[in-house]
Amino acid sequence: MVALDASSLMGDRGAQARVTMLALMAALLLTGLLSLSHGASGVSLWSLIEALTSGQAMPDRDRLILWEIRLPRMLTGVLVGASLAVAGAVMQGLFRNPLADPGLVGVGAGAGLGAVVAIVLGGLAPLWLTQAVGYHLVPLAAFLGGWASTLVLYRVATRSGRTSVATMLLAGIALGALAGAATGVLVYIADDRQLRDLTFWGLGSLGGASWPKLLAAGPVMALALVAAPFLARGLNGLALGEAAAHHIGLPIQRVKAVAILTVAAATGAAVAVAGGIGFIGIVVPHLLRLATGPDHRFLLLNAGLAGATLLLLADLIARSIIAPAELPIGIVTATLGAPVFLWILLRRRGLVDL
Amino acid sequence: MLISNDIRVSLGKVPVLHGISAAARAGEVTVIVGPNGSGKTTLLRALTGDVAFQGRVCLNGQDCARLRPWELAALRGVLPQASALAFPFTVAEVVRLGLTVATHANRAELVVRALGAVDMEGFARRLYQELSGGQQARVQLARVLVQVWEPVVAGVPRWLFLDEPVASLDIAHQLAVVRLMRDFARRGGGVVTVLHDLNLTAMAADRVWLMDQGRLTGQGAMAEVLTDAALELAYGCPLRVGRLPALGGWFALPQAAGVA
Amino acid sequence: MNRARFVSVGGVHAGLTAMLLLLALATAARADDGPRRVIAAGGSAAEIVFALGQGDRLIARDTTSSFPQAVLDLPDVGYVRRLSPENLIAMEPDLILAEHDAGPPETIEILTRAGVPMVILPEARTPADVLAKIGLTAQALGLPEAGAQLLARTQSDLDAAAQAAASLPARPRVMFVLSLQGGRILAAGSDTSAAAMIALAGGVNAVEGFIGYKPLTDEAAIAAAPDVILAMDRGGDMAVEADELLAHPALALTPAAQRAQVVRMDGLYLLGFGPRTGAAALELNTALRAVIPAGRG
Repeated sequence: MVALDASSLMGDRGAQARVTMLALMAALLLTGLLSLSHGASGVSLWSLIEALTSGQAMPDRDRLILWEIRLPRMLTGVLVGASLAVAGAVMQGLFRNPLADPGLVGVGAGAGLGAVVAIVLGGLAPLWLTQAVGYHLVPLAAFLGGWASTLVLYRVATRSGRTSVATMLLAGIALGALAGAATGVLVYIADDRQLRDLTFWGLGSLGGASWPKLLAAGPVMALALVAAPFLARGLNGLALGEAAAHHIGLPIQRVKAVAILTVAAATGAAVAVAGGIGFIGIVVPHLLRLATGPDHRFLLLNAGLAGATLLLLADLIARSIIAPAELPIGIVTATLGAPVFLWILLRRRGLVDL
Repeated sequence: MLISNDIRVSLGKVPVLHGISAAARAGEVTVIVGPNGSGKTTLLRALTGDVAFQGRVCLNGQDCARLRPWELAALRGVLPQASALAFPFTVAEVVRLGLTVATHANRAELVVRALGAVDMEGFARRLYQELSGGQQARVQLARVLVQVWEPVVAGVPRWLFLDEPVASLDIAHQLAVVRLMRDFARRGGGVVTVLHDLNLTAMAADRVWLMDQGRLTGQGAMAEVLTDAALELAYGCPLRVGRLPALGGWFALPQAAGVA
Repeated sequence: MNRARFVSVGGVHAGLTAMLLLLALATAARADDGPRRVIAAGGSAAEIVFALGQGDRLIARDTTSSFPQAVLDLPDVGYVRRLSPENLIAMEPDLILAEHDAGPPETIEILTRAGVPMVILPEARTPADVLAKIGLTAQALGLPEAGAQLLARTQSDLDAAAQAAASLPARPRVMFVLSLQGGRILAAGSDTSAAAMIALAGGVNAVEGFIGYKPLTDEAAIAAAPDVILAMDRGGDMAVEADELLAHPALALTPAAQRAQVVRMDGLYLLGFGPRTGAAALELNTALRAVIPAGRG
């Protein structure tokens, strides 16, 4: 009893964060159901429920739409949205900067380069490779690109067992420029159709979601999402700076290594299945920090829930606003995210820096 | 017992500490003093492992280099000279970070008591970044205090390493911090701190390490080290150390030649 | 919306079943008439359907379909390589007539598994390919007679073009410029529909040495020495203005620019390889003929 009283008295925002978490869970559940039940074909979840309860078999077409189109798409959206938001939150905690983004450690640039290489030079790939991976060549290349650049950066920034976050940031900018240049070269030699593919890839979409893709990338994202909450204490400590985090007893080297690998895995896999989707990683954690404080024990979980919800909503808009065509989801998240981002920047002017 | 064995630190190729060997006892306040650039803070940072150094630091008979971060954290709290905080944490949340590796039953109550000890009890829900510099310094001190709240656990003394803990505080809170340090030592803990103010040093210290140009020019009981001659040599200006007859407290008064 | 749907589920379901039944009956009754709800994915697909006089069977088209004008009134299902499976299924097509590059592959796979009838037209670079596309389409629509007529008409157009090409006194060098963004010449190399069209019209592709559409260095453009510069006037994404081409520092040094020989044609007309290909080739041929100086050949 005393503990409870004391904690509410002493500005612990845990209770608030827990309520938010419940609300977000409910929101995600609702959005998930909406995502399953909403679509151009008019097949609704209720018809599924009805079919299940009445024991009748659903029409093949309806089952296909729910099971092969909407369900993998919904699950992909949940995992990708959660991964992007959690990766953003982890990265911001690691760099002690609310504007940090997985793009900073080169995951984005590396993944982008991988995708561009696959799109432009995919035709030159050896036959055995194309036969083995089929049309998953682009996602695979994006994932490998993201991981490779992260590992390179990690090696560059780590000396005698210590990773310098600042070095990593600077090297990330350099590697980003290099990847940008390489991407530029490829864009330069790309033809019209490849350029269109590149544009669409860069804008992201859940349109290509399918069970095989989900089964390949889903476990990687899920693993990262499960690992992230264990970083909460470490990231909280890092807010004090690395030295102070060490002095309150945290194994910061391990925290940093796990954080970087988590971000690389989550972002690499998310970018691989859904292309470049911006702003979720920055906007979601920032809004949550405003609402319930920066405590990562709640922030990471809430960011995952909110990111998943937002991406599902964005996807609902993307696939219905210009139906029967489909808008790239990156356009939706950027259109919603950019004004919020500007609003954050405007607010920041008046506040204490960082 | 804290033992510093031949500690050498170089920044680039410039040696800053030339082999410091010294000892501090639990149950005592040890103050590191010396003029600007004499290596006080560097020495404290070497003792806490925040700069690369040659030599050895032993705490309670254990080589610090061999201890895990959480083992060290259970043994000592460290207050750096300046603390930056990312993200808008509340005061209570910042202090609770000091309990990261603790297994205390009643964390919330401990946070409240630590805030009381630094005269910040009404501020728990305030955002840290909205406080003044002095208030922030007190919150950081509370965070360190809460980490080693009991000065002795299972017969083993715990330690406070404080780098200029009074730097941005007003006089009343400076004295409060001196009282905190003395109290921690009286109850069996060890305190090692860097101070600038010789009067506060005289008031707080059981033991003094006097630094000059990267060397230890004196170590021992306060009254033995803080002599007129030693201070004048280190600081390069005449100083008079004495006891006020009326109050019994120590003072160090600069003898300002040429100032009327 | 969901609440409303929930309430009316029984009705909708029953209605749907009834509709499916009716549809099945109707299909059975008019089996010889072929599909009535066709989605065209790809410019030449829609064009062929219209050329067969069956434009009213189309229920939707993709963004690349732009001829004839009437096709633009149909709902747009998006870029041909980014089709959304559910949205297509929702339109309840009984045929999707797609060009070879329709995608993404996941969508094609799901459509196939959903049992949506789909005919994928081959990539066309030759007169034979064009005829194959028309034949396939006519067959898919169940229109043997109209198909035969269109085939005959197209064949004769193509023959006329071939004759004109053969009778050309010389073979002018033609450079196809796809775009000129930021002064960068994106030209057609070998194995492109542009190169195929140039050959059909009796010209020679001035740009050799690479496959596909690639940026050309200024020096390579000068060395290619085209007699004619060919570009799109509208359709496709990039229209290139004749002035722009003539003012380009490298192109300005080519024989084509010095004699202001720029030919601009509609993108789908020129490169679509549909029923109008014979006419397009003939038109290009006429333009090429005008370039050849009287003394040559």
